[in-house]
Amino acid sequence: MTSAIVGEPLPQVSAQEKTLGRAIYSGDVKVAGMLHAKLLRSPYSHAVIRSIDTSAAEALPGVKAVVTGADVPERAWGVAHKQQHVLARGLVRFAGEEVAAVVAVSEAVAQEALDLIVVEYEEAGALLDPEGALDGGAPKVHAEGNLADEINISRGDVEAGFAGADIVHEATYRTHSQYPGYMEPMATVAATDGTGKLTVWTSTQSVFLARQRLAEALDRPVSTIRVIQATVGGGFGAKIVEERSSVIAAFLATVVDRPVRVGLSRLDDIQSGCFSVPTRIHLKMGMMRDGRIVAKDVQVLADCGAYAGLAPEVMLVTAMRSDNMQRIENVRTKAQLVYTHTMPRGAFRGFGGTQMSFALNSHMAVMADMLGMDAIELHRKNAIRTGDVSVHGWNIGSCGLPECLDQVQAAIGWDEKRARPKGTGVLRRGVGMAAVMHVSGNRTMGNWDGSTVVLKVNEDGRAVILTAESDMGQGANTMLSQICAQELGIPLSHVTVQAPDTDSAPYCLGSIASRVTVNAGHAMLKAARQAQGQILEAAAEKLGCDADELSIVDGVVQSNKNGNLFAPLPEICRYHIFRRGGEGILVRATHDPQTVMMDKDHYGNIAPAYSFAAQAVEVEVDTETGQVRVVDTYLSDDCGKAINPLAVHGQSNGAAVQSIGWTLYEHLQFEDGRVMNGNLADYTMPTAESVPTIQSGIVESNDPNGPLGAKGASETAILPGAPAIANAVFDAIGVRITDLPITPEKILAGLAAKEESQHA
Amino acid sequence: MSGKRISLIVNGESVKAEVLVNRLLSDFLRDDLALTGTKRGCETGVCGACSVLVDGDVVKSCLSLAAQVDGKTLTTVEGLGRIGDLHPLQESFMAHGGLQCGYCTPGFLLAAADLLSRNPDPQDAEIREALSGNLCRCTGYQGIVDAVRNVAESTHGN
Ligand code: FES
Ligand code: FES
Repeated sequence: MTSAIVGEPLPQVSAQEKTLGRAIYSGDVKVAGMLHAKLLRSPYSHAVIRSIDTSAAEALPGVKAVVTGADVPERAWGVAHKQQHVLARGLVRFAGEEVAAVVAVSEAVAQEALDLIVVEYEEAGALLDPEGALDGGAPKVHAEGNLADEINISRGDVEAGFAGADIVHEATYRTHSQYPGYMEPMATVAATDGTGKLTVWTSTQSVFLARQRLAEALDRPVSTIRVIQATVGGGFGAKIVEERSSVIAAFLATVVDRPVRVGLSRLDDIQSGCFSVPTRIHLKMGMMRDGRIVAKDVQVLADCGAYAGLAPEVMLVTAMRSDNMQRIENVRTKAQLVYTHTMPRGAFRGFGGTQMSFALNSHMAVMADMLGMDAIELHRKNAIRTGDVSVHGWNIGSCGLPECLDQVQAAIGWDEKRARPKGTGVLRRGVGMAAVMHVSGNRTMGNWDGSTVVLKVNEDGRAVILTAESDMGQGANTMLSQICAQELGIPLSHVTVQAPDTDSAPYCLGSIASRVTVNAGHAMLKAARQAQGQILEAAAEKLGCDADELSIVDGVVQSNKNGNLFAPLPEICRYHIFRRGGEGILVRATHDPQTVMMDKDHYGNIAPAYSFAAQAVEVEVDTETGQVRVVDTYLSDDCGKAINPLAVHGQSNGAAVQSIGWTLYEHLQFEDGRVMNGNLADYTMPTAESVPTIQSGIVESNDPNGPLGAKGASETAILPGAPAIANAVFDAIGVRITDLPITPEKILAGLAAKEESQHA
Repeated sequence: MSGKRISLIVNGESVKAEVLVNRLLSDFLRDDLALTGTKRGCETGVCGACSVLVDGDVVKSCLSLAAQVDGKTLTTVEGLGRIGDLHPLQESFMAHGGLQCGYCTPGFLLAAADLLSRNPDPQDAEIREALSGNLCRCTGYQGIVDAVRNVAESTHGN
């Protein structure tokens, strides 16, 4: 065994090239003869395109092509709902939808030409509010109606549960849409070549899903397309399959038969989506006096905007995932996803979990107060445990939730702070907490959630990993490299991971559903052990001993029995080739977890492991201005086993701040369906100054199905922030905010209402 | 659009170029000099991804014109260090989780270099304030603040 690599807080394998400014993001890619494109967007939420006059734009010197919906393939693309085209064809369904594109010698010329395109629109009534979407007279977003999806789940006997409950509480919660806010706006370079192949360098979380979508949208075989992942400047879910500009770029390259670059401006990036799914959640829960949840009724109304994308999957998570966190038997859910004439919403870190986490954890806090019980105690009482099968059939192989609760309780000083007298001054402090769960993997995209890793060990004993799982900054490549180095007994610096490329990497699903560590990590483990076996066999042959007595330590193959029997790894790797019938070391391993797809009732063990987290925060509320400031936060993540604690803390800390942003600062504003704050000055994401020291802890529950015990980290950590803050606000000033974001106006209104009711 | 001849020093090398008077410094660096370490994240002066040092002071290159840096000395992230000879801030960002996706990193490195040149021993609050013109969506800023504090402490031995 080489000195420990797994479990060490190591810098990311990509850290050096990134700090040197030498990592190549897709916007940095330059190909000889490259042209630039700009996109024209609809100013209307719902309009028929009567005509588009491109003649003046085409006449502008330097313009190579002007393309409209009339030129794009008829075939529609989408996830389950095939309803989008490369450019809008005859009808626009949201303000910001792409109606035309100009390809020119420079961005400046393309931009100038955009202004010369004359589009004649005929405005139609727009449906902007999801609340009215299912009314008979509402404007229709799609011919088949405004209901994109509906989910009904019923387990146990909910009515009997409520009838027998000691207390019942119901409330309605509202969550708003969040912009992923990755610092790299979408960019793509696409080029055709003399063989007819289309190569696409883009910022994506999944090259194979990207290729599949391009094949559909451009109506050509997948093998005629090659997608290469450039360094990704953050994804947070939006770069799975919902952004549209890479599709447009690829199509434009086929039109002009030359390389085309589409680099979105920040405004473009915001206008084109994809933001998270806004919801209205009605929650009713019944409990016994001892805190046991005996009945739960959930109603969700979610808005996917103009196109469904991944939103049906997202809503399913909102509808039922958090049920699995608690030992409940009686639950009923009705969830409806509706279209509106607004930007498409869909996947976002947490994948629908943040929405329900806000409702459930707010509800738990209220009911704890009703029972006169501590909120952490109430969570503990109901928490699912290792070995349980949840109400929806999930096998909980490991659950560190109780330990997460212990950690945050101690770290924030929960007991003392909850016991202190309530403030009466201008600035008042309070503490709040929340508990959450997430999947590590999800068998949902067809009956396979596997991952394949190809591992080459070169003749110098160094390793190259080929995979199409995606590192978007979260550290997937580092995780794979650490497992590989440790298992092979070589230094971390001797491992490289090739950027995902659909022409050379094995088929992989990519960075979705926190599946990469648990599934690709496992495949990596198998591949490394396979390669090690081959190396030791070859070494045994060369050294004339038994393979069983050999191991690789720090790049040297040596005998455990005879200290004089050893050979440097490169010598053995060369011997593996240069012998009769030899070959270079090239192994492949696949790991497909023992999970099932949900049945039609949404029952079944979909993931090999489930991760948990808890967070406690302290806030300070300014009762004069209504400002809420997070002054302390501690988040504990049960990631099974931290393959890289530095990376896990990084995920937890980043998620904590992203959730502070969602809860307090980020507020997408629309007027007539148009985004009014499509820039980073007005869409205000947290800065270093607006957040406190961020603290996080790790719980290692060592999942039996995880590689070396590991589960996913990162998505779980985005889930508890909003309700923890809302609960802390209530603790501070006695005002319960049930609709996000928590703005100064709502705080002041809440305080005024409270004042009034006290005097009434 | 009229042009202007400019001459400047970029990362220690002298550069002479003819630029349009409205040419953004960020575009000049990225597109003309192929220094793509300088990023564009907003082009409105908010995110700081495009930060460079001009005569030692941090400047947002998306708000500056190439014509304005005539005669000046510039440092972009590519000029901060090289393999085998990294800048202490680069080492420290790596060691303390000061980056994930890395898109914001060049800007933060240069903003931090500017801070430490003015204030070699900043408090955390001063670090946070000095870096508040830069946005990072991945790290929650903790790793970045840790990284900068560590460089200050190791050069000051406290
Ligand atoms: S690109 Fe210059 S500040 Fe954002
Ligand atoms: S590391 Fe991704 S934005 Fe800072």
